Formats: sequence, C-alpha cells, structure tokens
Amino acid sequence: MFATAVFAQAQRPDLTGVWGPYRGGRGADPKLAPTPAGAPVLKAPYAKPYEERRAAAAAATQRGEPGPTNGMLCVPYGVPTMMSVAVYPVEFIQTPKQITIISEAFSEVRRVYLDKPPSKIDEVPPGYYGRSTGRWEGDTLVVDTVGIKDTVQYQTMPHSDQMRITERIRLAAPNILHDQITIEDPVVLEKPITYTLAYSRLADYEMVEFVCDNNREFVDANGVVRMRTQGK
Amino acid sequence: MFDTGKKVTVKGSVTAFEWTNPHAYIEVDVPQEGGGVKHWSVEMGSPSILMQSGWKFKDLKAGDKITVELNPLRNGDPGGLLIQATLPDGRVLGNGPGRGPAPSTSAAAPTGR
Repeated sequence: MFATAVFAQAQRPDLTGVWGPYRGGRGADPKLAPTPAGAPVLKAPYAKPYEERRAAAAAATQRGEPGPTNGMLCVPYGVPTMMSVAVYPVEFIQTPKQITIISEAFSEVRRVYLDKPPSKIDEVPPGYYGRSTGRWEGDTLVVDTVGIKDTVQYQTMPHSDQMRITERIRLAAPNILHDQITIEDPVVLEKPITYTLAYSRLADYEMVEFVCDNNREFVDANGVVRMRTQGK
Repeated sequence: MFDTGKKVTVKGSVTAFEWTNPHAYIEVDVPQEGGGVKHWSVEMGSPSILMQSGWKFKDLKAGDKITVELNPLRNGDPGGLLIQATLPDGRVLGNGPGRGPAPSTSAAAPTGR
C-alpha cells in the first residue's frame, strides 16, 4: 500500500514554470500538437440565437466594425479562456496542496485546491474563475471547475449554472504541457466540447505585468468599437 | 476599426511613447504641407507582444524623429494600427511576432516560441 502510494507520487510531474503556447507545425511530433475544439452544438432554444449572434458578429468584423469583446474592454477572460489568450504565456506554481495558475494576459490568477473535495455548484458564488479542485491520476492532474458566471463565456457561448469544466493536465513531453479541456453543460450543450491546449516550457522568461490602465478603445453609440486619438 | 486594406505613412516627431496595456501607443506630431502640425496616435500591441519582435520600453522618447507605416482608422480620425516603424537609429520594428519586419538586431526574445 505504502509502496504503491510512493510509486504514484513518483509519477507526478512538477508543472511549475512558465509555459508559452505551442502550435506544433511542420516536422513536429503530431502527438504534441494542440487539438482544436469542434463547433459547439447547442440545444434548442439556445442554438438559433447563438448562431444568429455569431453570424452578425462575423458580418460586422467583415465590415471592419467589430463589436466589443470582454478582452477589448479589459474585462478579464476567466476560465477557460484565460488558458489560451493569443500568444501570451501562463505560469504554473505547484505545491502539494495547491496549484496556482497565472496568465500573462491581464495577470489573471486561478487556484486549484488539491486537498479539498469537489465543489457543490450551489455553494460557489458565480465568478470569473469559479472554484477548482484537483487530484492526481498517475501523471495527470484532473481539475474540476464549477461556478463560472453567465457573462464569462467560452467563445461567446451562453451557459447555464450547471456548466462544469474538466481539465486533464499533464506533460506530454518533458517540455510540452497539455491541458485537455472539456466543457459540459446538460442544459445548453448537446454534447461536451473538448479541446487540448499545448504549451512549451519557457525556461528563461520573466512574466510581464499586464495592468489595463490605458485602454483607449471604447464602444460608441452605434455599438462600434472606436479608438480615442489625441489629435483631431 | 482599422482599414487593414489601406496603408498610410506618416513622418514626424514623437511626443510620447506610452508603454502601456492593453496597447502601447506612439504619439506623433506630423508637419503638414503649408504649415501646421497634425497629431497622430499609433496603436501597437501590448508590451509583452512588442518585446517579442524586438521593442524595448526605452526605444522612443519625445523629440525622436520617426517614420510610421500604419493601417488608418476607418472613420478618418488621425490614428491607426502600427505596421512598422523606422526608429532614429535606423532599426525597423513591426507590431509583434509575425506582423511587420523581422527585427534587425538580435534583441532578446523569449525562448521556445
């Protein structure tokens, strides 16, 4: 029993470090590459309004008049989006009882508790990060997150308070970290959304601070994003 | 917001280099033919993104002469999105990785990207 526990511990990687998005590409081992999500399939009555909103947003972007996104307004991305914001890295700080994850974009922080039972949905005040608990399964950290509030959306998708996000985080190679994210929502989604983010270790990178204190982009009366210029 | 099909080049003097989030900005006074000055605001990526293509926070100061190629604002306001900038020392820097020319100096870039 003791020997098994020790062996299981020995398999656990140390995820501590700074990790930048890894895109794979020509010549790279395909097993290490990220895996994109399929298109979300929403249940009625959510599917049609979602499709209409997406089509309108795409048309506006085509016209060169994109509407506002949370990010554009310096509203934090929350979970799961903070794990994959453009080219920005994330930092994992691993201790036996907690893993803290900090994204460089907007300096967002989430905590995964390793020594606590999973959250009850109705006991978590809805927020940007919800509440995350995790446990090790061999070499994989399995994370459960509930309690994401309604305005924090994965790709502008609506979700219910029953949404649950499961992550399986492991080292696919000594310097490649994978975060397989599964979004389930029995109220809104026909089937779960699954995608895998890949990161490569940035050995010498110091994370840059990111405080949104000079946002010159704003939404005008027509709902169009504009930029404040100093000249006329 | 920006007309990515159009390129405009402005030449003038830097009045401010704002190394800020979510975007850095270069403010430029551009002398006009016939006199006067038009003031342009150039939007760039964030400092983290800019550093990936060679920019440093102290690369520009008020008074520096600069040439900026940009995608202009659609509504005609004097502003735009940086494509590339030619600095006083001759370096040409773009707007983050994959956008604009490769840095001409081997500025420290994060490894592994």
